[in-house]
Order: sequence, then C-alpha cells, then structure tokens
Amino acid sequence: MAKKSVKESAVFKKALWYHDRLLLAGVIIVSLALFLSVFGFMIAPYDPGTPVGPISQAPSSQHWFGTDSSGLDVFSRVITAPRIDVVLSVSAALLSGLFGTLIGLGTGFYEGRFSSLVMRISDVLQAFPIFILAMVLVALTGRNLVNLIFALTFLYTPIFVRLTRTEVLTQKTRTYVEAARATGNSEWRIALKHVLPNSLTPSLIQLSVTVGFGILLTAGLSFIGAGVRPPTPEWGLMIATSAPRLILGEWWSSLFPGIAVSLTVFGFAALGNALERRVGSA
Amino acid sequence: MASYVLRRIFIGFLQAAGITLVVFFVIRSLPADPVARLVGFNSTPDVYNQAKASLGLDRTIWVQLGDFVGTDGSGVITGDLGKSWVTGSSVTSGVATTLPITLQLVLLSFVVAIAIAVPIGVATAKRPGGKLDKSVFGYGLFAGAQPEFWWALMFIFFFYFQLGIAPAPLGMLDPLMVAPDKITGFILIDSLLTGRVDAFFNALWHLWLPIMTLAFILSGPIIKMTRQSMARVLSSEFILYSRASGLSRKQIARSTLRASLPPILTLTGILFGFMLGGAVLIEQVFSLNGLGSYSIRAVLNLDYPAIQGTVLIITIISLIVYLILDLVLVFIDPRVKAQ
Amino acid sequence: MTEPILEAKNLTVIYSTLDGPVVAVEDINLELFPGEIVGLIGESGSGKSSLALALLGLARYPGRLEGEVHFGDKELVRMAEDDARLLRGKEISLITQKPRQSLNPYLNVGTQISRVYRAHTDASQSEAMKHAVVLLENVGINDAERRIDAYPHELSGGMAQRALISMALSSEPKLLIADEPTSGLDVTIQAQFLDRMWRAARDRGMTVLLVTQDLGVIANYCDRTIIMEDGKITSVKETKDFFANPDNAYGERILKLARAHRTTLEAPTMQDNDIIQVKDLRKTFKVEDDKVLQAVDSISFNIKKGRSLGLVGESGSGKTTVGRMILRLLEPDSGSVELDGENISELSLKEFNQLRSKIQVVFQDPFDSLNPRWPIFKSIEEPLKLHSSMSSGERRERVLEVMNAVGLDSNSVAQKPGGLSAGEQQRVCLARALVTRPEFVVLDEPTSALPPAARAELILLLKDLQTKLGLSFIFISHDLSTVRELCHDVAVMYLSQVVEVGTTEEIFADPKHPYTKALLDSVLFHDPNSRRVDKARLTDLEGEIPSPVDLPKGCYLAGRCPFVESRCTAEAQVLTITNGKQSVRCWKASENHPFGNS
Repeated sequence: MAKKSVKESAVFKKALWYHDRLLLAGVIIVSLALFLSVFGFMIAPYDPGTPVGPISQAPSSQHWFGTDSSGLDVFSRVITAPRIDVVLSVSAALLSGLFGTLIGLGTGFYEGRFSSLVMRISDVLQAFPIFILAMVLVALTGRNLVNLIFALTFLYTPIFVRLTRTEVLTQKTRTYVEAARATGNSEWRIALKHVLPNSLTPSLIQLSVTVGFGILLTAGLSFIGAGVRPPTPEWGLMIATSAPRLILGEWWSSLFPGIAVSLTVFGFAALGNALERRVGSA
Repeated sequence: MASYVLRRIFIGFLQAAGITLVVFFVIRSLPADPVARLVGFNSTPDVYNQAKASLGLDRTIWVQLGDFVGTDGSGVITGDLGKSWVTGSSVTSGVATTLPITLQLVLLSFVVAIAIAVPIGVATAKRPGGKLDKSVFGYGLFAGAQPEFWWALMFIFFFYFQLGIAPAPLGMLDPLMVAPDKITGFILIDSLLTGRVDAFFNALWHLWLPIMTLAFILSGPIIKMTRQSMARVLSSEFILYSRASGLSRKQIARSTLRASLPPILTLTGILFGFMLGGAVLIEQVFSLNGLGSYSIRAVLNLDYPAIQGTVLIITIISLIVYLILDLVLVFIDPRVKAQ
Repeated sequence: MTEPILEAKNLTVIYSTLDGPVVAVEDINLELFPGEIVGLIGESGSGKSSLALALLGLARYPGRLEGEVHFGDKELVRMAEDDARLLRGKEISLITQKPRQSLNPYLNVGTQISRVYRAHTDASQSEAMKHAVVLLENVGINDAERRIDAYPHELSGGMAQRALISMALSSEPKLLIADEPTSGLDVTIQAQFLDRMWRAARDRGMTVLLVTQDLGVIANYCDRTIIMEDGKITSVKETKDFFANPDNAYGERILKLARAHRTTLEAPTMQDNDIIQVKDLRKTFKVEDDKVLQAVDSISFNIKKGRSLGLVGESGSGKTTVGRMILRLLEPDSGSVELDGENISELSLKEFNQLRSKIQVVFQDPFDSLNPRWPIFKSIEEPLKLHSSMSSGERRERVLEVMNAVGLDSNSVAQKPGGLSAGEQQRVCLARALVTRPEFVVLDEPTSALPPAARAELILLLKDLQTKLGLSFIFISHDLSTVRELCHDVAVMYLSQVVEVGTTEEIFADPKHPYTKALLDSVLFHDPNSRRVDKARLTDLEGEIPSPVDLPKGCYLAGRCPFVESRCTAEAQVLTITNGKQSVRCWKASENHPFGNS
C-alpha cells in the first residue's frame, strides 16, 4: 500500500543527509563538552581560579578570550566550566531518567489506585514553576553541587515517569506481550525483559533534552546568585559577574561563556532531535 | 458536557489544595534555618528563641499549617498569604503589585511570539523542504532552549549600547517620569485609563526589548509545533478525503486549522506556565520589579511566607491556564470527552 | 474504439520532504474506458494508492503532480482547485481503505455527508440533512435519524466504510476510484459492496479503477488488470488473458503461488483420543452503561490427535476469544478445557504456566507478535529457556533445526524482526511456537495479515508441517478457502455461537446453515471463468451483523437471512445433529424444510 511508500522507500532513507548534518553537529558539540568536563582543567592555559594578569583586557594572543574584571583568564574559565555545568546536568538527567523510568514502568504495568495516586502527584509537581522551585530547593538545602544535583533530579523525574508510563501503556497492549505470556513468562519477566526495553526510546530522547535544560537551569541559578559560589568557573556565574561591565564596553567576558552555554544546549537539543528522527524513521 | 466541566473544575480545586500542602511541607522539610538567617548566626540563644517565637515557629507544624491555611479566619482560603518575615509587609499586597508586571510582560511576549510563529509555521508546513522550511527548522530547534538572560544582555549591548535604539535596562519607565496612578497594576492599562499617553508610550519603549527577547525564545518551539501539527493534519486521511469529495477550499482550510489547533494550544499553555516562573531572569536583567524579582528576594532571604505565596500564586495561575485550555479543547475536539 | 473517459499522460507523483524529493509514481500513461472495471495490483509501496489519487488530480501531502490527466475534455493536473473540486465527489468519486480516518473527527457524520452533498447541489441545509439520513438508512444503519449526530469515533469501521461507499455512489459518478475499499470488511459485506459496484458499472456505465491485493477480486470483478511495480506500470492485460498468460514476472509469481496449494488434504492416521476437549465455554464482557457483550455462548468441540479444526467466522463472531480462552490468556465465565485428558481450566495460572510448552500459539499480526528489540534467535529460544533444562548449545541446535523446518535461513538468527518481511516474521512466530514440540497449537488468523504471496507460501508450509509432524491445531480464520486447505473439520461461528460443524468435505459439499451457504458463496475463486457475478445466487445476506450487546431473541441471523420465517424470530435455535456428524443451528435445516425463494 502506498500509504507507507513515502516513509518506507529507499530514497527517503538515503535522503536523511540534512538530519545527519544536525546529528553530526550534535555529536561534535556533545563530545567536546564531555571531553572538556574531564580534561578541561588539564589543557587550560591558566589557572581558572587565580588572577593572571591585568583586569578587563580585550582578547589578545596571550588571553584568547581576554581577562575579566578580576583579572581571570576567560578562555581558561570557559573550558573548565563544563566540569560543573555538564557533569551536574548529565548526572541529574541520568538519575531522574533512572528513577522516572522505573516508577513509570511500575505505574504503567500495574495500573491501580497506587499508580493513579503517583500520577496525580507527578501532575501537581509538573504544574510547579520549575525555576523558582529549583531556587527554593537550592537556597534551602545549601548551595553545593550534590544538593544541586538532587534538586534537578527531583524536578525532572516526573517528566520521565510520564513518558515511560505512556509508552508502557501502549506496549502493554501489543501482541508480543501476549505472546510472552503464552510462552510462559512470569509477569515480572514480561515487565523487565519485554516491556521495559521497548519503552525506553522516549526517555532516551528526553535524556539529551534534559541535559540541555539542566545546563540552562544551572547557569540561570548561578546568574541570580543561587547557584555555585564564585570564583568557581561556571558559565552562568561568569555572565552574571561580567554583566555590569558590558555597558563599559567589556563584551568579551560575557560573550564567550554565553556562546558556550548556547552552543552546548543546542548540541544536546540537536542530538535529541536527531535521535528522535532516527528512531521515528527506523 | 456540563458534568465534564464540573469534574474538571473540581479536580482543579483538589490540585490547588494539594499544592498548598506540598508547598508548605516541602519548604519546612528542607534543612534550612530561617531564624538564624534573620538574626545572624552569632546571636544569643535568647535572641534566637525570641525571634523564633515572634515568627510563630515555636508552635507545632499543624498549628502553623492552620495559621497558613486560615483556620483562624485569615489565611490562604481568604486570600491572605501572611506577612513577610523580612519586611513585615503583607505578602498578598507584595504579590499583587509585582504580579501584573510579570503577567504584562509574559502575555505581550506570547502575543508577539504567536503572531510571528504561527504564520511562519503554517507557511513552512505548506511548502515542506523549501528554503524557508529548512532555515526555520534549524531556528526552531535552536531557539527552543537558550540562555535567555544572556541573549537579553547581548541585545542590550547591541540595541542600547551600540545602536541606541532601546532604553537602558532600568525598569518600566524613565527614571524621571512619574508613574501613572495604580488602578489595575498593569502600567499600560493604567496609563491609558488615567490619560497618561506619555507614560503609555514610555512603558512600551521600555518593554520592547524584554518582549522581543522572550518572543525570540518562545517562537522557536511554537513554530516547530505549528509546522508539525499542520503537516500532520495536511497529510491526514480526512483532509485528503475532503479534497477528494469536492469540498471548497475555505471549508478545507477551516477544518485544517481546527484540527491543527489542539497541540499548539497545549504547548502554549505549558510554555505559559513555564514562563511565569521563567521570566525571573529577564526581569532581573531589565530591572523590572515583577513577581520573579520578588521571589528571588524571598528565596535568598529564606522568607518562608513570601516563598509560599509566590510559588502558590504561580502554580495556581498555571493550573487555571491548564483548566481553561482543557475546556477549550473539549469544545474543539469531541473525542476528548470520551477519554 | 470508444473514447477513453480518462487518460493519464506522463503522470508523475513526487513527494517533497525536508530530506529531498521522493518519486512515488513515475511517468505513467493510462487510459480508462467507459463502463469498464480495471484492477490495479502491486506490492506494498509500488505506488498504487498514489496513482489512484493522482487520477483525481490529487496528491497526498506533501506531494505534487506532473504530467496530464484528461477527464473528458478537462485536464485535472493544471486545473484551478476551485474548478477541479466541482468534479471530485460528483463526476469522480473516491473510496479509501481507511474509512474511519477519512471522516473528519471533529464533525458529526450528518454534517459531513450534508456538506459534501451541498458542495455539489443547491440543496439547503435541512434538505441536505434529510439526504444524509436517507443515505445512512440505505446502507442499513438503524436509527439513522439519531446516528447522524454521531462522531466518527463512535462508528465501527464497517459502518464508516458503508457510509463512505454510499456517499461515493449516491452522486452517480462517471468514474469511481476505489483504493482497497474492502480491506477492512468482512467477507459477506465485501461481497455486498463489490456486487453493488459491479451492478453500477454494468447498468450505468460507471468506470471503476479498483486497487486491490486480492487475486480473487481481480478474477471475479475486473475486466482488465494492471500491474504496478516500483512506481511504474509493468503490465496491462485483459483479466482472462492475464490469468491464462500473465507474461510478467511478478504476475507469474503471484499466480503460481495462488495455484500451488490446490491439492487435497491427506487423511490423518486415525487416533481415538482427543487432544483438546472444549466444554460449554462461555464469555461475556461488561461494556459501558452496564450492558453485557456476549462474546462466546456455550461453545463445545473436541479435536482428536493429529487432526485440525477450522474455526470460521466474521469479525465479532467470538472465534478469537475462544482461542484466547483455550490458551488461558483470558478466563472463561464458565466451561472447561481439557488438554490430553487433563482439565487445564482448574489449574492455577502458575501451574498452567508449566504446561505452556505443550500448547502454543501463533497470532495474526506477525510484527506485533515479536519483541522488536530481540534478535529472532532470542525470540525462538525463549520457550526453551523457560521450559527445558537444555544447555545453551543444545538450545542453539534445536532453534536452528526448527528454523530450518519453517524455511528460515539460519544466517538470519541475529536479525531483528523489523528487518524481515511479514512472511518471514510469521515463520519466526511459527518457529517459536513449535520449538518446544507442543502437542497442540492455536493458529489465530496467522495468514490474514500477510500479503497474498506470503500468505500462499505460509499455507504451503503449514500443510507440509502438518504431514511431517502430525501436528494437531485449531485454525481460526475468516477465510474459508484457507480452512479447506488445512483443516479436517470445520466449525462455523456467527455472533458468539457455533452455527454449523462437520467435516470439511461435508461442510463444503453440502452446507446446511444459511450463513454457511452465504459464507461459501462469498468466496472469490481465483478463476475469471467461474465468477461470482455470473452465478445465480439465493443466499446473499442483507444488512449488517447485529451488535453482540443487543442480541435478537430468536435466531441471530434472522435479520439478514433470505429464508427467514416467523418461527425464526420467535424461538432461539439449538445446535442439532442432522446426519452422521454434521450439526446445524437452524430448525429449517435440521427438520429438512426446503430452502427456496419464498
């Protein structure tokens, strides 16, 4: 039937180059971010935490991205910041993905009173203003890395619960589940071996998107002074401390960390989108 | 239909009640010491206990909850959100003066974003694979998640500092201008009501850059969703069949629009809820004294009543938006009722 | 030679996507003549549907047309949309294969029908609404006055299709484009529609382009046959000529497969003990408004070792529910199932799970039946893991052995189901069912989701396995000709009841129940010289299958039966043995009353 011909034809699959380019961009940016979060400190030309020269110097061959108002080297700070931004967002995304998927599997596979209670709670959590809640959680628990991770995990778990549950509810009605039952699988085995692996796709795509949002949230929190403390190299903090200098013409100390956030977030979004496309057309 | 509406409103109330409780307990369950923050960490135990008593924190948590909810006649149920621990002023009035500023900013940003995004989305859906489609696709993906506070700074640098076609980011009006009398709290409306045309245009002048910044971020996902939704409907069997059965172009266009609307509306609602809290950063950059700025002060000072108040108000507004959205969707799509 | 009513010249359909253009139909030239019925066949994705639409001057979004389509003196491709729409739905009508999705989900049925009517007439709103009611009544929809307020999601697929069909035919079009119009319909309903279409073509000179995958439909109704492959027409022939001498690789292949299994079923070595005994199974489901849907009503049968039973019926007859209850995927309200003398209905599910290696199943939709993330080896191996103490080497050996037996290439063990064809997927399902050497297999419409060629191949394979392994099975199907190939015995179900049961020879040679007769008559043989439309028939059923929620008091078929008498509606019918083994649920048949034209 030609109803599927557009999607199924070989030409269509060959023509994915446009999205392959996006995928490539995503992969390169994400790999670079991950690379810097591990090796950033090693390859940074200066110590990102100690003043290295005259303050507020425009970019030069010595200081590629210039120096900020405290005389810190902007380039070194930009490439060491992923240690905070990326590690924090990736851990929070992984943790919320793990919890959310398991809760989603449980509530989707065994429908009942308990399951709908969990869903109502996650409904309410999703109606909360995420940014303000994050501020509250961090301000009240103390501004350190672990608390930030926990706050983000708490906020992002409901998304994964919902995505997984919706998928589990669809997968549950498919014949292969019935076939597994007819083969003699126990319900536990069906849930873990058959339904779970087939319900992961939406969460995997969301994982990439969540990392992006995590970076935005981290930077935003630092920007208003509710995130990590100075002089930790962190993009949002760097933008916040250099913002007042912008009007004096010192653009470099806020431009470069901003580009870093912008590109990194875009990279994770592009990766997520490319994954979605891939899975969608497979 | 009526029973669906009633049930939906009832659920909304339950959610609001649930939120009140969650807010109250979550804040108190976190390991922070607001008293110490208020009186200083080096104060004597006497001073500390006195402060604790004056804030009412020496009472049991249930008494505090009753006080917050309003079992004594004044509380959340009567619209009284308590008194700020830091300034001593009423949280309700604090919210009432700052909320309109935020709402005004967010609503106008949405109007601009939708006015830009929907036509572009429709145009790209009509010509898939065209030049416009390809460039807009990249933009939709890009603008969907961006550090808006940084873009705001860059825009200020460019439009104010370099080009001089925007005002300094220092509030709603020029520093020397007298604000119009408060009636609704929305400065654009108040200035018109009091005949202050100068203030009206001055406020617009100050608002255009923050609005453009938010619209720049918001239009990305809306374009993406419009294109996706339109394309889905255009490729649907029923639009094809409508064409094959000879319906007029006008009828088909109307059917297409109606069927494309629900996902776009849903997304807009979700973004709206997100932006109410998310406008914090933009307010901060442009020194707009909105609810966001109010909440930042509350959080950084551990001012529990003010925190509770802002979180509660924002959440309830989001819930109301979702509620309206759900009711609109029932009118658009007869299948919703069946679920 | 007469002038063609429609002529396509260099017709091309191109879909433009974000990833570049895709050509679905390439440079096609085609003529359709007044009054002829032309069949269009081809594999999935060959561009049949795109071509069918292009003949209306339409392309599915995001597609566009190139070339010309002349309809009379008009050219449709370049014609202004506002002019072309006046032809569509009036002079040229379309019937699609997805009736429910073709209706606007946001509008009620009455509004939709009246809008189309008003698009082509000067009728007022109220006149158009009356027209809608009449149309719905014409297709046998009860309570049409009320049903026009229904939304598409409240209609059954069959009902929606009948509404669309009657809309398409009511404007008395000169040309009807029918894109697999009967793919979702039951056989007796399919026969009703195709007969009506054939009549309109012969009486009014309506031209039909009929897209189908079914050689039976081609042989019975089409004057000419067109084959499409990869967006191009590769053969155009008179239908009789096509069947006699296809002259085309694809055509030869499908004809060969369709004919390959016309051999008689070997009689099994008679064994006396029953492998399966079903006693008085009943099942009801609660539906909305506290109503009860009667899915299965007191079904009993037994199957002897080495024999196979065909359980035949249309959608909603309850045949699949019976299969699911035997497998205990569904618990019956009452009744019992015995497997090899053991009452398995009494076992706890945990105990029964131990026995599952003895009783296996193959479902209808092969792709949906396989875990899409598992390589096929893992899927076939799983029952052995659960039910045997074999080592992994022994398991591997057994899996390869059974893969070989069902004709799967052992090199494909690592493949995921998505990479296989539907036919191969179903072989994997069959291998999984056979790997534990079960004593009994439930085959739940295993052939009906397959394209015709794969279906024919699977039937040959099942026949082969039956003789080699002496397999006992129940074969659930709506397709009588397949049952005839594979089964020793047949039970015909209609609306939760068995209406006739007997050996395959008895049922096919001398069907006694009117429903069985109608079912047999609606079989479309792959032979243009023995067409359904050329035979005189008395047995055609009218109208629609009643809802299993509101069952009639007397005989369930009474509303549709051409031989109905007052006694039929008054008393419930019982299954009665007639002669030897054949049993019938019809007083006329069991009391030997003549069935005639009353």
